[in-house]
Amino acid sequence: MSAHQHVEGQLPHEPERATLEGRNKVLGFWIFLGAEVVLFGTLFSAFIALRHQVLDGPHPSHLFELPMIFAATMILLTSSLMSVFAVQAMHRNQIKALIGWLVLTVVLGLAFLGLEIFEFNTYVSEGHKMNTSAFSSSFYTLVGFHGAHVAFGVLWISLLIGQLYKKGLNVVTAPKIYVSMIYWHFIDVVWVFIFSVVYLMGKVG
Amino acid sequence: MSENQSASAQAQAPRRHRVEGPQKHIITFILSLVLTIIAFAAVASGISASFVYVILVLMAIVQVFVQLTFWMHLKDKGHLFPVISICAGVVLVMAMTVMALYWVWW
Repeated sequence: MSAHQHVEGQLPHEPERATLEGRNKVLGFWIFLGAEVVLFGTLFSAFIALRHQVLDGPHPSHLFELPMIFAATMILLTSSLMSVFAVQAMHRNQIKALIGWLVLTVVLGLAFLGLEIFEFNTYVSEGHKMNTSAFSSSFYTLVGFHGAHVAFGVLWISLLIGQLYKKGLNVVTAPKIYVSMIYWHFIDVVWVFIFSVVYLMGKVG
Repeated sequence: MSENQSASAQAQAPRRHRVEGPQKHIITFILSLVLTIIAFAAVASGISASFVYVILVLMAIVQVFVQLTFWMHLKDKGHLFPVISICAGVVLVMAMTVMALYWVWW
């Protein structure tokens, strides 16, 4: 395995790329993200094709509330910035700062999830349920899949924080941190399309 | 690891790694913020729907491009295969979207 010893036990400059295992992990993760693009793309294309089929359910322009969506967008964008700072702290070998930024990322992710649960709860009480119409089904599938990705990311990063406490920052843990931060940015990238295509276009009509 | 870029000039200098500052990422953040606000403002302003659609798609593509290049490091060297895999995903999904829309709408 990676018994990759470095000079004086020092952490190399880009610890996520210091070993072949780390480089392969990063590359493999990007191929996975390519597949994720396809997954979300199919959900988006289904949503775009079906979004006018509201039947007797509420119309998106009455349903969506822009201030709440804007707040969720800000939360996720800020958490993406926190995770970029986490990678920078990792490159400086500042493990305390790294853990701090990771905790902030997770907290903002949880805030986003809370807001989304509240939002879905409000929609259901207004008669916009999973089985109301083709629009509502494709809406919950697309936005719910994104929310599930956020939930998974929160869990994943929390576990990595625990691992950092236990094993410290080294060439084995660094690729995991790096890859999870790429994942977190990807969640934010998908959200950009969700708030543009689902919410803002739904509001316009 | 990569070689020292200007080897002749800095061969004697101690190898110090450049650690990038946060400025670039804060600029990316502010740019994303501005693009998001433009998109929300366009919808809130109540201008004609077709014009708003164009603005929304444009803002989303620019913001995603900015975040992919700076926050996800796609501009850094050694990212050819990540760029290829993301582009392959995008191309595949565009083909599928066009097919889905063609199937449902026409």
